[in-house]
This record gives sequence, structure tokens and C-alpha cells, in this order.
Amino acid sequence: MAASLTSRCAMLGATIRRLSIGGCPSLEVRGIHSTAICYKNRAARIRVGKGDRPLNYEQALHPHQIGHRKGWLSAHTSNLHEEEGAADRTVEDVFIRRFIFGTFHGCLANELVIKRRGNIIVICALMLQKVQPQKFYFLIGYTETLLSHFYKCPVKMEIQTLEKKAVYKYV
Amino acid sequence: MHFVNVKMASSGVHAGRHIYNKSLIFLNNLELIYPRRALACTASAWQKTALASNGSSEEIVIPRKKTWSKEALLQALTSTVKRDPTAAHYTFQDDSYLTPRTSGEFKLYSLSQESGKAAAKYFINTYPKFFQKDFAEPHIPCLMPETFELQIEEVSEAALVERIQLRKVKAAVDMYDQLLQSGTTLSLDLTNDLLDLICLYGDQDPKDDSDPEQKTEDVVEVQDDPRKRRPRIRRASDIVRVVWKENNNAERIFNLMPERDSRSYGAMIQGMARHEAYDKAFSTYTDLLNNRLTANVHTFNALILASPEVREKYIEKRDLIFELLNQMAEQKVRPNLLTFNAALRALRRCGNMARSQALLIFGEMKALGITPSLASYDHLLGIFYKAASSTQGHTEILQDVLNEISGQSFEPQDPDDVMFFLNAMRVCLEHKDLEAAYRLHSLMQEGENWKLLGDAHQQSMYYGRFFNILCMMEHIDVVLKWYKEMIPSLYYPHSQGMIDLLQALDTDGRLDLIPEIWKDIKQMGHDNKVELVDEMLSLMAREKQSSEVQESFAQCALDVKRRYVPSEFGKPVLEWTANSLGSITSLLLAAEKRQQAWEMMKLFKASNRVPTDALMEDFLSSIKEVQDTNQAVELVQMSARFCLAGTPMLTKRVKEEFVLTEDHRATLSSLEFSSDGNRDLTC
Repeated sequence: MAASLTSRCAMLGATIRRLSIGGCPSLEVRGIHSTAICYKNRAARIRVGKGDRPLNYEQALHPHQIGHRKGWLSAHTSNLHEEEGAADRTVEDVFIRRFIFGTFHGCLANELVIKRRGNIIVICALMLQKVQPQKFYFLIGYTETLLSHFYKCPVKMEIQTLEKKAVYKYV
Repeated sequence: MHFVNVKMASSGVHAGRHIYNKSLIFLNNLELIYPRRALACTASAWQKTALASNGSSEEIVIPRKKTWSKEALLQALTSTVKRDPTAAHYTFQDDSYLTPRTSGEFKLYSLSQESGKAAAKYFINTYPKFFQKDFAEPHIPCLMPETFELQIEEVSEAALVERIQLRKVKAAVDMYDQLLQSGTTLSLDLTNDLLDLICLYGDQDPKDDSDPEQKTEDVVEVQDDPRKRRPRIRRASDIVRVVWKENNNAERIFNLMPERDSRSYGAMIQGMARHEAYDKAFSTYTDLLNNRLTANVHTFNALILASPEVREKYIEKRDLIFELLNQMAEQKVRPNLLTFNAALRALRRCGNMARSQALLIFGEMKALGITPSLASYDHLLGIFYKAASSTQGHTEILQDVLNEISGQSFEPQDPDDVMFFLNAMRVCLEHKDLEAAYRLHSLMQEGENWKLLGDAHQQSMYYGRFFNILCMMEHIDVVLKWYKEMIPSLYYPHSQGMIDLLQALDTDGRLDLIPEIWKDIKQMGHDNKVELVDEMLSLMAREKQSSEVQESFAQCALDVKRRYVPSEFGKPVLEWTANSLGSITSLLLAAEKRQQAWEMMKLFKASNRVPTDALMEDFLSSIKEVQDTNQAVELVQMSARFCLAGTPMLTKRVKEEFVLTEDHRATLSSLEFSSDGNRDLTC
């Protein structure tokens, strides 16, 4: 009769859990969140500031505009019905973006566009004219060979150069 | 007839099927009488109708199914696309900042791209563990890391085989010596492989460009400490010449071998012939014959190539070649294409008498059923058209050769194939045969022949010669059409080519195009060539043109003038010459830019050049139009300072044509006196 407090609490907890599994909406259990917080309504949005920060077109438009006013930065078919390998393609894309950012240090004017046609990967980049053309060609030859050997498929680069970054608006 | 045989059907279905069958039979019969129009278009239908009309059996001949290769669709698509003359070479990026504009830039960018690739391969081969994961289905061997390092260290036959495969000459010889010392007997095949390796590379390790610690030549000297050795400039000769040394490893191993077969002898002979030890090659060959062995076709090829080096007179050379060929026949060795090419190449050194022999050799080739390659034709042209000989004006051999090979597509079979187009175009140029040049060019565009144009240097020589003959012989519109097509996408002309183009413009009187050509010259980086700029300026200044043209010339002249002004780095791009100064001044005068022309005159003094009399006269006439007396008098003073012979004339003209004040008259008279006095002393 005089059951201890802990055992009473344990019984209470077990009962509540059973009820919640049964679908009772008012008694819910919250789990532990183990990653950093990333709200979907704050992703890829640069907030309005003083007016001296230049943004290019990619940065200025928010992700809900993709498909309306923006295009896709990565083109592959693994997101179609019954196609596999979407996760692998995404990981490859992330690696390629970091690799190019580091190799062409300070020269990238905009995000990379990665296209996959057949088994080749085409990396389209907008660069600034910060280094001499022969250095660009050295880096292009190096990147193409290294990535081809890494991913076991032909990798080609298509570069366009600009004098300075193309600003869409200032925020 | 079928129609009569009507079966009585019970149900409607049967009746329906019946009617269907009958209508089919009816239609089939109709078809035999009136064949369908669509069929008449195909070749098979001709066969069909022919059969039907012959009244033979109604057998339908179905044509064989065509099998297409996997790339057939791609090849059909590529045949619809022609070369784009406005695009850069396909290895470069399609961006104006990254497109090469001169031949120097072309070479620089392509070499830097190659060095980037080499850097990547270095990393891949040094850290292979990151590149081992193989996702490719099917496996792509060229995208896997390669190992160049030796794996097997202990003394064994497998180690020797590995060293031979990795082409490590010195390591292989060391391993062989160790094996011999340890007493193992090696098979004859293995020893022959080793001999092949040593003889091919002339007892040196093959040049490995990635290795910075290169030992360069065969000169035997004490190897210094690498830190003390100063870096040497790599000459072109360093790369090619490896000379056969006395008693090198190949000879030593050869003498040590317990038994030698024809393959060993063959390897030795080929190695010696390749590395310029020709007499030794022939003595080894006599050894071979004394041992009653037969040589194979490669050995004979090497000997034939070496034969001009061991004899002095033309007749002896030719005799030696033919003797070798006869021995080949005796030993029942079948000659191949390379044999005949070697014979032709050796005959090139035999003087004029080689002509008839060359034609005999061609006959032999035909008799044996070997099709001559482009190298054979190249040697033939080399025999018949010696460079710098007097141009006798007959190009029959070239015409015959072109007749024979027109429309054929060649594959690379001999390393000398690439010299054909180059030399043939040189022959066309020397004999000024434009039609042959066009035929040669169309042959080059036939099928796969463009692959046989050679590397970038040979290509630029070919196109340079082609453009040269076009400029000499063709009408300017055609020249300009070819110019737009070939330059700069196919080749970057050097300054001599641009001078030819200017002369072609001059011949046809299209000098108004010169400002456009000047823009191209600037872009190609030839604006620092003095002769080219001088030539262009004098062509512009020579005659009076219409006023718009004159205006554009003046703009061009001002642009050229900027090249002579010292830039911020101190030294100007071009040095003034009297010709260029005079031309620019007269151009500016002709376009009525007197102020700038006056500044030009001051430059004469500054750069120690003397203007011509004609220029002074022109200037005076130009000043007369504005009636600027001050300037006229100054002009006369300047002319006197230069001690020009035409000063008195000028003085007289000024006095007559201008209204002079007292000051002016005084100045002029003083000039007269001083010039009279000076004339005795200095001028």
C-alpha cells in the first residue's frame, strides 16, 4: 500500500508512455536534439543590413525562389523516380565545391554550377581575373586530372572570367 | 482461284475472319501487280521489281541488316559540324581573357596546362591510397594510380623481369650482374629481353622529366656532389643524342652470354645503328653471317638506315643498299613498309642518280603488295626536289604523287609521315604552283589525314607556307577569305607573313584595309617589329588616298606613334627611324592635322634623324593653305639647322608665297648668309 515515490513515478511514466504510443495527443514526449539548430526559414538568406554589403544574384534571392527566379546549382538525375545515388551525388558535389574553392583561392566570383551528362561531370565556374592566364591553365589541368582520377570519370571545367564580381544589389 | 473456295461459316466470327483473310489475299495479289510506291525508292525494291518483271518466282529478297558501330551516330553528327574559324583551339577555355593571341601565348598556356596535369599525376602516384576506390563499371585502368617504384628487392628472376618492364636500365643491369654472381643461369629469352632494353635506350636510363635530379649526358666525368653542380641550360641536342660507348654494358653482357641467337645479334645491331656506332653495326652483322644465323626484318631495316653513314661515294652507298636488299631476299626475310621507307630515306643521301632507283623501289613495293605510306612519298619528293637547287619549274613528280594519293585517307605508319605535308608545301612554294597547293590542302582535309600534320611547330610551318603562296599568287579577296579562316584559329603568322600580306594588299590596291590589319598586328604582338611597322607606314604614306581613308590612316599613324613614346618602364617599344618619322608626318599632313605634324617635326631633332626634302616641301604647301607665316619661317629655320640641300628653295618659296614682315625678312636673310657661309664649311 505504501509504495515508494520512485516506483510510483516509474509506473506513472510507463503509463504515460504507453498512452502516447497509443496516440493520445495531449501527453507527448519530447526527445533530445543533438545537432546545432538550423531553421528552415533562415537557410541561405542574407538579412538586410546597413546597405554596404554587395550581393550577387544567387545570394540576393532566397531559396523559395528556386524554380521561379533562380535555377539549380547542381544538375543530376538521381532525384527522379526510382533513380538511386542522390546522397552520393550530393557528397561529391560538396567535395567538388570545397576543392575548387581551395584550389582557385580568392578567384571564385559566384557559386559553382555542376552538371552531369552521361558519365562526365562538367564544372562551370565564374572566376575573377586575379591571376594570369597561364596560372589558370595550370590549375585547370591539375583539377581536371585529379578529380578524374578521384571519381573515375571524366571531369571537365568550363571557366568564364570577369573583371570584378557582378553585384545585384546592396543590403 | 481462291475466291471460289468459300467455306460455309456458321457464326459471324468465322464469317468476319473469312472476309478478313480474303481481303488480305486480295490485297497481296494486288500488290504483285501494282507495287507500292514507297517500296520503289529502296534498292531492295528494284531487286524485287526486277524479279517480278523477269517473271521468276515470287521470292522476296530481304536485304541484309546493316550493323552500325557504336560511334556511328556520333560520327554522323560530327560530319554536319564544320570547324569554327572564330574559336580558339579546343584545349583552351572559351573566354576572351583565357584565349591565346600569339603563338608564344599558345605555347605557354598549353604547356602550363600540361604541367598542371603532371603535378596532379605526381600527387596521384605518390599517395595512391586515396585513389584506389573503384566505382567505375567497367573498370577504367587509365584512371587508377600507377606504380613506378620497384616492389621486389631480393635478387631473383622476377625482380629482373620487373625492372625490364619498368624500363629501369641501370637497375636491371645491376640485378643481372647480381644474379650471375649468385650463380643462377638465366634463360636465353630473359637475357635477350635485357639486351633489347639496353640497346633501345643506349645504356642510359630513359629521360624521366619529373625527376629533377637528372643526370644529363653520356659524357663520362666524375659525378660531383649534386649541390655543387650548377644547373645547365638544356639544349635541344641534349635530349636527342645518346652515343654508343665502347665496352658498355650491352657489349659486356653480349660477350658473356654462353650462347647467342639471332635475336641477340639483332638487338645489338639495332642498338648500334640507332646510337651512331655504324661500323660496329656492320661488323656485328658480318659476325652474324659467319655464325650462319639469319637476321630478321627489323635488323635489316636498321642496317639499311645506317648504310649511307659507312660509305663515302654515292655509288657505293647505293650498292650497299641494294646488296643488303639482295641478302634479305636470300635469307628469305620478307620486307615490310619500313624496309622500303628506310631504303628511300637512305637514297636521299645518294645524290641525283637516286631518282631512277627510287622509282624502282616503288615498283618493288607495288609488286609485293605493300601500299606506300606518306613517308615514302615524302622521301620521293626529297629525292627529286633538293632544297635550294635551281627551280627548273617542273613539278611533274608532285603532280603524279598528288594524282596517285588524292582522295585517300592515310594512317600513321612511319614516324616520318608527318614530314610529307610540310615538304610538299615547300615544293609548291618554291615552284609557285598554286593549284598543287590547293590540291594538297584538300588532301590534308580528307578523312583522317589532318592527324598527320605533325606537332604545333610543323603545323605552323605548313600553314605559313600555304599562306605565303596564297599571298603571292592569289587575288586579294581570296587571300582575305583564307586570312579570316586560318588566322588566328589555325596558326599565328610571324612578322614575315604579315609583310607578305601587306605586299599582297599593295599589289591589288586595297591599301584602305591597312588600319584593320594594324589592329590584328597589335593583337598578335608583332607591333614591336621595326621592319613590319616601317613597311606598313611607308605603304600608307606613299600615295594620296580619298579623305575618309586618309583620316583612318591618320588615326592609325597616331596609334603607331604611341608605340614610340617611352612608357612608364622607361624604354619605348620601338625606336624611331627616319622612314617612320617621315611617313607619320606626311600622313598627318595629308589628313590636315598640322599641329600634330608640327610636334612630329620637333621629334626629328630629338631623335637625331633628318627629314627629307620632299617632306619639307609638303609641309610648306600645307602651311601655305593656312597662311601661317610664323610657322613658315620656323620651318625654314629648322631646315637650315638640318643643313638640308633644299633650304634655298624653301627660302625662295616662302619669300614668294607668303606676306612677310620685316622681322621675317631679316631672319630669312640671316639664314641665307649663314647657310652660304656654312655650306663651305659644314654641309
